[in-house]
Amino acid sequence: MNTTVATIVITLALVLMLGSVIAAVRDRAMGMVLLIGFALLEVAVLVQAGFVIAAVAGGAGPEDKVTLFGYIAGEVLIPPAGVFLGLAERSRWGSAILAVAGFAIAVMTARLLQVWQGQA
Amino acid sequence: MSGDGTEPRASRDDRPPVSGDGIGTGPGRALVAVYGLFALAAGSRAGVQIATRFGEAPLAYTLSAFAALVYVVLTVALVRGARRLAFAALGVELAGVLLIGTASLVDPAAFPDETVWSAYGRGYLFIPLVLPVVGLYWLRRRR
Repeated sequence: MNTTVATIVITLALVLMLGSVIAAVRDRAMGMVLLIGFALLEVAVLVQAGFVIAAVAGGAGPEDKVTLFGYIAGEVLIPPAGVFLGLAERSRWGSAILAVAGFAIAVMTARLLQVWQGQA
Repeated sequence: MSGDGTEPRASRDDRPPVSGDGIGTGPGRALVAVYGLFALAAGSRAGVQIATRFGEAPLAYTLSAFAALVYVVLTVALVRGARRLAFAALGVELAGVLLIGTASLVDPAAFPDETVWSAYGRGYLFIPLVLPVVGLYWLRRRR
């Protein structure tokens, strides 16, 4: 699995989490910056999914493929779901939702790396 | 008579629409997000466990699935503003995390694999333990 992509995903997710927390603390609803940020995160997550699928197709990867793809699928779902709820909730709590989404992506990518290395 | 009788009269009975301050909006929407996430996490974990190795730890995996079900019910109850259902599910969740948490520490042999509620949700930053308390507080506050 491509560790560079995973590092980018985790870093971006943590930066977006921080930005969302700041927005929530300042009592701001989700704005354009966060919207674009999470769109970028979704692209990064999809690229990562592509790398994982390619590597698995090439015969690499752990024994536990179900868990691996479970994490991949979950990660692809979370940014759009977070943005959907963030757009529905036009208050600081919309930003709080995005903080949760960013944190979830960071943790899940870390877990994805562990699963890849077989430490399920 | 001032009007033609067709316009609805603004009376004392007029209340703001419930959807504006339901249990699933504002901070409640953040709860929906967290519960949705846990429904996904617990549901996927239970799905994988039951589909691939149910025989190894039937009790733990059945409880995983039960926890996932509780999270799904709570997510839906919050979104739809079903207070009583949400209260009941939060009670079940709190009881579940306390019982399973204790049981997993007292009799680790019965729980050879993790569930969301093992050791009071240690594998999930103890969020499963805090969540029902936050949820009950929120439901009490938002009337």
